[in-house]
Amino acid sequence: MIMEGRRTFGLLLTIVATFAIAPLIAIVYYTFFNDGHLDVSQMNRMFANDRLWQTLGNSLLLGLLVILGTTILALPMALIRTKTSLHKFDWLDIILTIPFMTPPYIGSMGWILFMQNNGFLQQLIPSASWMSNTFFSLFGMVMIMSLHLFPFLYLMLKNTLLRINGSFLDAALIFGRSSWRNWTKVVLPLLVSSYVLGILLIFIKTLAEFGTPATFGSRIGFQVFTTEIHSYLARWPVDISMATSLSLFLLSVCLVIWYFQNFIGRKYTYSVLSGKTPAVREIKDTWYIKLGSWLFVGMVLLFSIAIPYFSIIVTSLQKVRGNGLSAGNFSLASYQAVFTSGSAGLSAFLNSIVFSIITAVVTAIIGLFIALYIKKGERKKQQVLDFFSLMPNIIPGIVFVVGLIMFWNAPWLPATIYNTKAMVVVTYCVLFLPYSVQYTKSSLSQLDQSIFQSAAIFGRSSWDMYRSIFIPLLMQGILAGMMMTFIISMRELVAGLLILPPSVETGATFIYSQFEQGNVGVGMAVAVITVAMTVIFMFVLDWLQKRGGHASA
Amino acid sequence: MKKRFKLLATAGVLLALTLAGCGNKQSAESVSKDAANAKPPEVQTLTVYSAGPDGLAANIQQAFEEKTGMKVEMFQGTTGKILSRLEAEKNNPVADVVVLASVASIDGLKGSDQLQSYKDAENATKINSDWSDADGYYYGYSASALGIAYNTKNTKEAPTEWTDLAKMEWQDKINIPDPSLSGSAVDFLYGYAEAEKTAWDTIQSWKKNGLQVNGANKEALDAVITGDKNATISGVDYMAYKAKASGEPVEIVYPKSGTVVSPRAVGIMKEAKNVEGAKAYVNFLLSDEGQKLVTDAYLLPGNKEIPVKDRATLDEIPQFNVDWKGAEAKQLDILTKFNDIFR
Repeated sequence: MIMEGRRTFGLLLTIVATFAIAPLIAIVYYTFFNDGHLDVSQMNRMFANDRLWQTLGNSLLLGLLVILGTTILALPMALIRTKTSLHKFDWLDIILTIPFMTPPYIGSMGWILFMQNNGFLQQLIPSASWMSNTFFSLFGMVMIMSLHLFPFLYLMLKNTLLRINGSFLDAALIFGRSSWRNWTKVVLPLLVSSYVLGILLIFIKTLAEFGTPATFGSRIGFQVFTTEIHSYLARWPVDISMATSLSLFLLSVCLVIWYFQNFIGRKYTYSVLSGKTPAVREIKDTWYIKLGSWLFVGMVLLFSIAIPYFSIIVTSLQKVRGNGLSAGNFSLASYQAVFTSGSAGLSAFLNSIVFSIITAVVTAIIGLFIALYIKKGERKKQQVLDFFSLMPNIIPGIVFVVGLIMFWNAPWLPATIYNTKAMVVVTYCVLFLPYSVQYTKSSLSQLDQSIFQSAAIFGRSSWDMYRSIFIPLLMQGILAGMMMTFIISMRELVAGLLILPPSVETGATFIYSQFEQGNVGVGMAVAVITVAMTVIFMFVLDWLQKRGGHASA
Repeated sequence: MKKRFKLLATAGVLLALTLAGCGNKQSAESVSKDAANAKPPEVQTLTVYSAGPDGLAANIQQAFEEKTGMKVEMFQGTTGKILSRLEAEKNNPVADVVVLASVASIDGLKGSDQLQSYKDAENATKINSDWSDADGYYYGYSASALGIAYNTKNTKEAPTEWTDLAKMEWQDKINIPDPSLSGSAVDFLYGYAEAEKTAWDTIQSWKKNGLQVNGANKEALDAVITGDKNATISGVDYMAYKAKASGEPVEIVYPKSGTVVSPRAVGIMKEAKNVEGAKAYVNFLLSDEGQKLVTDAYLLPGNKEIPVKDRATLDEIPQFNVDWKGAEAKQLDILTKFNDIFR
């Protein structure tokens, strides 16, 4: 088979090595070598710092609490969207990804503006001022981050639940005893592998998250790894080797966690897709399940979208921000500014779209090949490739970006893509390749062995086999991965800040610079436009996908 | 074990091979590119890394391009970001001109031999010599003064002294930009600690009064504008003037006992490829036209003869006596001390 040859391995590994591993080697080199000599004083310097352990504690605590928070939001949501009559409303999925599309930086600002002293909440309900103090604590931070990250876990759980829906439940219904037992003995164990992978990613995303700790965390004095690393990178005097040492430490923490996930995940992987299309059946709910479901969805939408977007939109419309919510204080001036005057904001936004689409396509193709090669990761080579292709997910983006910069600036490279737009695409591809690998792999791992066997027996050529069997079966996963890549590229900030060539801006860096030095109203306006366009884009894509499905059926 | 080693070795060899392959291919490309570049030497671009305020940097870029016909590639960011970019690019420098919001930092660049001198800059003699390097390595083309920015709607009595903010009525109502993000906040702490013996006691008393360390300059000021806090210590004045001009309820005062004026400086990189263009850019910044653009952004001009716009002049601001040369190391101590108190 073409995906198993030695040459394929070489080629894939080469691609991954050049773009993902070389930057890391550059970082390790930069940390441990000083003018060509081995020098461990950097590491000693780091471990001598008391703050390291506190930062570690803070980061781990935050990660665990956010896992809890996202589980509380995502698990019921996934059940509601698959097991109740709400499963028909596919538009909910797109709406529910809005929190994830929102740059965390903007989302946190929205919450801060809403909850702060003299904020929008106090202007609307003056008696609610006691909430401010409760909110500006670790609790608020966990809440904001959970509301931002839960769609990720939700989509994973939902996709798994959808696949289980078919024959497993029929069998359980016929042979099982009570519905409670069916749940605990059949559905939940089948969910475990997705869930464990999901929370691992949530945990690592929390550790790698920069926007919320930088805005909200700094207010409550809660330092985590990313803010520490960032302060070594962006404050004077710049201490890149300290930042890389910290990153290496963070990396080792993440690797340990990853190892445990792998261990648990492997134990609970089952094939749940047997080539038979899961039957969609009519679901009739009792009134209280329906009411409860809608209430839950409503609350989640209120907290994850309505409140932050209320602040964001109001801010983008305010004339004088010091006058708060008062009649006559609103105008469309910020939006006019975006759509006229050479419109730096608009061109930044268009740059984002181009970069994101290219990234989504490139990673989908490379990701598909890697996933097909890895399969279930039974052999050493497969595991190696699996591990390397997932590395960018385990390592905080900021570290990777610095590694890429140092690698592409190495003096012995005869030519470099640094300071060109290609560098942006390469960086995005490295950072987001794991998404497409993950999504494709997760679809692949659910294919039953019998599909491979029958394909091998009845298929004509291996190319034919891939084209007419595997790729169509995996298409849902590939598309989901592309969508995720697109969304994440659209809001990527750290990479943009550090690697964009002069005179090129993306939507995210434009918004950020408005907060740093410019006009907050205009920044918020671009944020609103970006998210609105992304949502429309996703609805169109969804519609096209469905239409395409009907046409071919 | 053996197997794994073999695998790693294979990976290493592959990596090296690809890199070599890529390198060859790209070097061929770059050679042809260089050749193409060499033909029309007239069309030059100038790369500027600027920590200037967003609007000002863009206006200067536009005016400079119109005047000289040169294309400017502009990278904007905070002083910290520009320094880390320069550090990362050390082996492959791109920038021709750097504009930083802190003289201590640009003096550090001079100290590490990354700048080149341009002694004969036009108008050099008119520029404030306290803000510039005597050997022409950098020029302080503008400056901002640091004061107390306060919300006029929520404040009954305007503060007049730094120590006022330790009083009861300001409890939990004050913030300061994070000095690890804001170069001007470090400049302030450095100047204040150098000039006032009781500075650290005052800083401690602010802490007791609930001083919040609040992100970059604009973020700290935003908290005051939206009414979350009432006053920003070490508020950057041009931002406050700009907000005030657009109708926000904000005002800035400079305490009588003195404050810090934080100069912003421009220098030419040692490895600059377009040295002539870089010189033209420096000349433009120091010219009356460039200085006029500076004052339009509510900053203090480097050339005192240029009238300021809707703001206090340099002479009206009571100043601490601060020496910026060699401030780099001391500022680091200040920063460490501050972080020890507040973290």
